[in-house]
Amino acid sequence: MKGYLGEFEELVLLTIATLGKEAYGVSIKEDIENRTDRSLSIGALHSTITRLEEKGFIKSWLGDPTQERGGRRKRYFELTHEGKVALHNMKDLRDELWKLSKTKLTLSR
Amino acid sequence: MNKKPIRPPRLADRFFEWYCRHASVEDLHGDLEEIFYHNLEKVSANKARWLYWKSVVSLVLSYAVKKRKKNSAYHHYANANSTAMLANYFKVASRSLLKQRFFTTINVLGMAIGMSFSLLLITMLSFLRHYDTFHANRDRIYRINTTADDRVRIDEYASTPLVLGEKIMNEYSGVEKVVRINSLFAADASYETQVVPLKGYFADPSFLEVFTFPLVKGNKSAALLKPNSVVITEKAAYKMFGNEEALGKVITMGDYGDFEITGILKDIPKNSHMQFDVVSPYAAFAAYHSDHPDQFDSNAWQEVRNNYVYLLLPEQHNLADIDQYLSTVADDAYSKNEKFSAAFQLQSVNDIAPGKELFNEIGPDWGYSSILIFAFLTLLILLPACFNYANISISRALKRAKEIGLRKVVGGQGNQIFTQFIVETVIITLSSLILAYGIFVLVRPEFLAMLVSAEGLDLSVDAVTIMYFMGFAILVGFVAGAIPALYFSRMNPIQALKSKAPLKGVTRISFRKVLIVGQFALSMGFIMAVVIVLKQYHASVNYDFGFNQENILDVELQGVDPKLFRNEFSRLSSVEEVSMSSNIIGTQSTSKIWVKNIQPADSIEVFYTAVDHKFIPNLNLELVSGRNFGEDLPVNGKYIIINEEFVKQFRLGAPLDAVNKSIQLGDSTEVIIAGVVKDFHYMHLREPIKSFFFQYDLSQLHYANLKVRSADILSTVMDMEATWKTLAGEKKFTAKFFDDEIEEAYVVYFVMVKICGFLGLLAISISCLGLLGMVVYTAETKTKEIGIRKVMGASSLQLALMLSNGFIKLMLIAAMIAIPVTYFLFDKGFLNTSYYRIDISVWDILISLAIMLLLGVSTILSQTLRAARSNPVDTLRYE
Repeated sequence: MKGYLGEFEELVLLTIATLGKEAYGVSIKEDIENRTDRSLSIGALHSTITRLEEKGFIKSWLGDPTQERGGRRKRYFELTHEGKVALHNMKDLRDELWKLSKTKLTLSR
Repeated sequence: MNKKPIRPPRLADRFFEWYCRHASVEDLHGDLEEIFYHNLEKVSANKARWLYWKSVVSLVLSYAVKKRKKNSAYHHYANANSTAMLANYFKVASRSLLKQRFFTTINVLGMAIGMSFSLLLITMLSFLRHYDTFHANRDRIYRINTTADDRVRIDEYASTPLVLGEKIMNEYSGVEKVVRINSLFAADASYETQVVPLKGYFADPSFLEVFTFPLVKGNKSAALLKPNSVVITEKAAYKMFGNEEALGKVITMGDYGDFEITGILKDIPKNSHMQFDVVSPYAAFAAYHSDHPDQFDSNAWQEVRNNYVYLLLPEQHNLADIDQYLSTVADDAYSKNEKFSAAFQLQSVNDIAPGKELFNEIGPDWGYSSILIFAFLTLLILLPACFNYANISISRALKRAKEIGLRKVVGGQGNQIFTQFIVETVIITLSSLILAYGIFVLVRPEFLAMLVSAEGLDLSVDAVTIMYFMGFAILVGFVAGAIPALYFSRMNPIQALKSKAPLKGVTRISFRKVLIVGQFALSMGFIMAVVIVLKQYHASVNYDFGFNQENILDVELQGVDPKLFRNEFSRLSSVEEVSMSSNIIGTQSTSKIWVKNIQPADSIEVFYTAVDHKFIPNLNLELVSGRNFGEDLPVNGKYIIINEEFVKQFRLGAPLDAVNKSIQLGDSTEVIIAGVVKDFHYMHLREPIKSFFFQYDLSQLHYANLKVRSADILSTVMDMEATWKTLAGEKKFTAKFFDDEIEEAYVVYFVMVKICGFLGLLAISISCLGLLGMVVYTAETKTKEIGIRKVMGASSLQLALMLSNGFIKLMLIAAMIAIPVTYFLFDKGFLNTSYYRIDISVWDILISLAIMLLLGVSTILSQTLRAARSNPVDTLRYE
């Protein structure tokens, strides 16, 4: 299977998808932190983003300067087609496994 | 956002920007700041700052920044130190060096001269680093040093009292082995007809086990067990026996008796702080010691010279315990002695050479202070050479300004320009190194000859030393190149392209002037030193000592009976007169004895020399009153002949009155004054003339003074040698002319002249090269001015003077600084070590000044005259 996605990579990709046009470093970080209730180092996040970009799952562009950030521009991220395919592959794999599971995975007793 | 004065920590910002350099991290930086302000709303300012730092560090370590830095590396601004650029710098540098051949030559020459002396230091240091490293146990070997306080002065000795070693051996168990060494084992070793002077140590048998001096033949543990055994080095064995087997032979070591050779040692490496030919068991010394108690101080704890104690400590040892023990020993030994006390210290064998300055070292002396002085002299030569380079380079800035300006405009960064000039300097220093190495090889033997402890110094160059040399050359390149490189890299491209390099800055001009003045002051100092020391040397050698030294040949008697010697040698036709003395007057120190005046009981220490009856007439000593000793009269022993100072000091009245008065020598002997001689220099000129007397004592005579009349010295000496053979057999005939002996006694001055002369030569060459560079530059920049002045009617001489004036003034200022300093140093320092000294006259100063000006001015004129003579048509047309 090509383009294997790590758990965190998948999380970042999905968050970027969720944020739509507003996906940049800080917003991604805060969104993940809020949802998963875990603190995230900015270095780790950007490392993952860089890897995803290397693999061609996301693309980026620089926005306009904002005053809030000392006049520095934001770098926005967006899913590429390959990124969407990778997410689908991941989801298919999961669904298949869920279906094939011999243990009953429903939580009700 | 409400305006908050709180900002992200600036240091963290700076660090982040510095780390990322040219990488595009704008968005990351923005993220950092945004998070900081978000955090500020939730937590305290300090916490937010802390979190900011944390984020910065996490980003710096992250793959994101690494990747972006890597991307930016392909950017054409950023690859400052890639090999391709270095190759380019190399190419550009060698082109520009080749284009300016003249300045390159000056720079290379100056640097080579400056570095040559440093190479000596580097070789010496790299040799000293390996001192005593061949001992397998070196980390466990310690020597005991003594700090002796005799209430007059406190001295540190490398040696210890004779009895200390034995005491440790008997009562202290905390050491593995104790080696006692006595360094007095020196004698003419004889075997059949062969006589070779050998020196070495008496040492305990463990000597060969503690120290790594391997035996070629013989058994390490048994070689030094018998008291009359001796181990001998291969070199010494070869001298004694040639290629014959030395093991088992019995040699006679002078007074010390017969010794059987039980081992042959491999030759002692030069990097050993012990240097010896032979080693005998300590027991042999103990036997000699008890046979000759009169030769040693009766209070054994007070005699700290010539005996050494080395300890081999166990693997697990505690130095503090041993120190503790040693201090209790010292307390016991000296608590009752009011006049003398001592303390003992341990010194690791690793710290001996180079190490502290100690008295009575067992071998070659490598104190830190002498190395420091040497290093200081090296810097004194090297630094002016570096400054020269900086000076010349900066003054050439105008020529390079366009190149640098263009480089900057097309995107050259400051640090790239910096690297370029450093590369250029390193090329220069590396080429200088080749030349410097040539000079180094030339002066090395001279240098070794000047050093006292040269026997323990090996200045041969191996691969490692060559590596040091290269490293040193590169380092010098960085040091010398830093100033011009910084200057060029900071150049403003606009000004540079307009050819308006900011050269005329006041500070820079005065900086260069200070350099020239400093260099010439140094040169002037050295020249004056040479002139003064040379004068003192000549004055000492040609001093009127008050006796005749012409045509007198001094022969060492070496135990031959004086009477026999005189009989045989008087028969030679070439010998006019034979006299004898106990030592050679005017050179070394003479013996002393306490003399008591009988009338006013008054005791003074007085020098004396034992002579025979021919001595006074033979050396043309003038008798003021009284008479000489009679020929071989038995009563002679009761008489002495004194000098005028003696008469004065003992208040014996007029010289005539002193004759026939009685005087007491030492404790009991009473003698009568037979005559008074005019004062003469019986000692080194360092010492003033004090009371002195001649004694008639055939048993003390060691030298014969032959007055020779012959013109043919060679045949005379051959006759003498033949006669000598009949008297002394195989002993070597040693004869020297009296005036040569005197010259030898003052050779230390000559060595100083050589050192000062050499350093002076280096210093003045460097100064003149620097000056040459400056003058050429000045002449070049003023080409047009000279042309115009010439057209307006100035003469060549006027122009040359105009160009030279400034430099000559600088040299005069240098002289004004150097003369008083040198005068003071020599007048109050060096010359005062000698009692009969020369005075520094105006002439000496003028001569030194003239030499310096001659060299400097001829350097200046060589260039200014050429510039002044140039045809204005050529210089003005050039536009």
